[in-house]
Amino acid sequence: MKILIVDDSKAINLMVSDMLHEAGHESLWAENGQKAVDIIAKEKVDLILLDWNMPVMNGPEFLEKVKSENLTSAPIVMMTTENKPDYIMKALEMGASEYIMKPFTSDILINKIDLVLGGF
Amino acid sequence: MTSEHIYKFFADYIYKHSGIYYKESDFYRLDSRLNTMMKSLSCATVEDLHKAYTTNVTKDMHSLLINIATNNETYFMRDNKPFLTLVNKVIPEILANNKSLTKLSIWCAGCSTGQEPYSILMSIAHKCTPDVLTKTEITATDISTDALSKAKKATYDGLDVQRGLPAPLLVKYFIKESDEAWRINDTIRSRVTFGEFNLLTDNFPASKYNIIFCRNVLIYQDKDNRKSILEKFYKALVPGGVFFMGSGESVIGLGLDFKQEIIDGTLVYKKPA
Repeated sequence: MKILIVDDSKAINLMVSDMLHEAGHESLWAENGQKAVDIIAKEKVDLILLDWNMPVMNGPEFLEKVKSENLTSAPIVMMTTENKPDYIMKALEMGASEYIMKPFTSDILINKIDLVLGGF
Repeated sequence: MTSEHIYKFFADYIYKHSGIYYKESDFYRLDSRLNTMMKSLSCATVEDLHKAYTTNVTKDMHSLLINIATNNETYFMRDNKPFLTLVNKVIPEILANNKSLTKLSIWCAGCSTGQEPYSILMSIAHKCTPDVLTKTEITATDISTDALSKAKKATYDGLDVQRGLPAPLLVKYFIKESDEAWRINDTIRSRVTFGEFNLLTDNFPASKYNIIFCRNVLIYQDKDNRKSILEKFYKALVPGGVFFMGSGESVIGLGLDFKQEIIDGTLVYKKPA
């Protein structure tokens, strides 16, 4: 699968890319929501991992734009340090399919991707 | 360097009391466990520990050894499919065949730290009509008192609640108590009763359960113990009851009366009605 990582941290991108590559996935990186919008306009991705707090366009703003303008059918998984139930609820209500709280391990990431693709 | 006879003593003790089998080639796997016990019991050497266990084994020392010997690795919705099969097919079929059923009895044998019984209840709450949850009563047992203690607390950290658990179920069925503590809500918690149970030595109830889960537990038993435990599970099921094992486990070759069936990709074992 081709997975787009949207996160302003280069370190997070490197860590998550490694986890994805080890599981046999391809990855792309956008350092904010606006760059991610540009990427999905040009190429099809299968899943998006989305940070909450980013400059230029943050996670919720990206979710809102993508859903209201129907920019992609790829499931979106929030991947963030925000771990309050209200945040999780908000992300799910805005159209995120799953939610990963940082810090997480490789097995959690891969399991969440599997859940999105065929779980509950 | 631990002597062979000390390894053998502890391996035999564990086998006798839990059925968990350490082959001679696996004795090295006891090292970290024996170290933990030495710290807990303030023994300077493994010889001192051996001496303590050959002199007088108190109840606490017995529990310590059993707790350390068991593998409590588990997570929410482990393997996912069995839970979907349970709520989409198995429970509806049992209820359709028993219209007057007032109680759906489920036994989670080898429940470890509680993720499996809670996953069953969350699946039922999420996918079935509300009356099914109120009919469901789960008995969840394990040989490890440490694991049961965590299961009863029903409180898990940030990594535990992410391992296998879909986010919509997390926000629906857990209460966040602190940054590192998520607690199962009382509606779910109240439907499960935890208890200590040794599959090898305790008496199994007869014809009591509609459904039994015993997944990834019997893999640590030898063939004879496995057969004997599975025969007792068969008797503990009501006619028409369903038994779930781990995805890599099988009863093939053990000469049991279970009827094997694949439902939605999950292999289950039925006791004929």
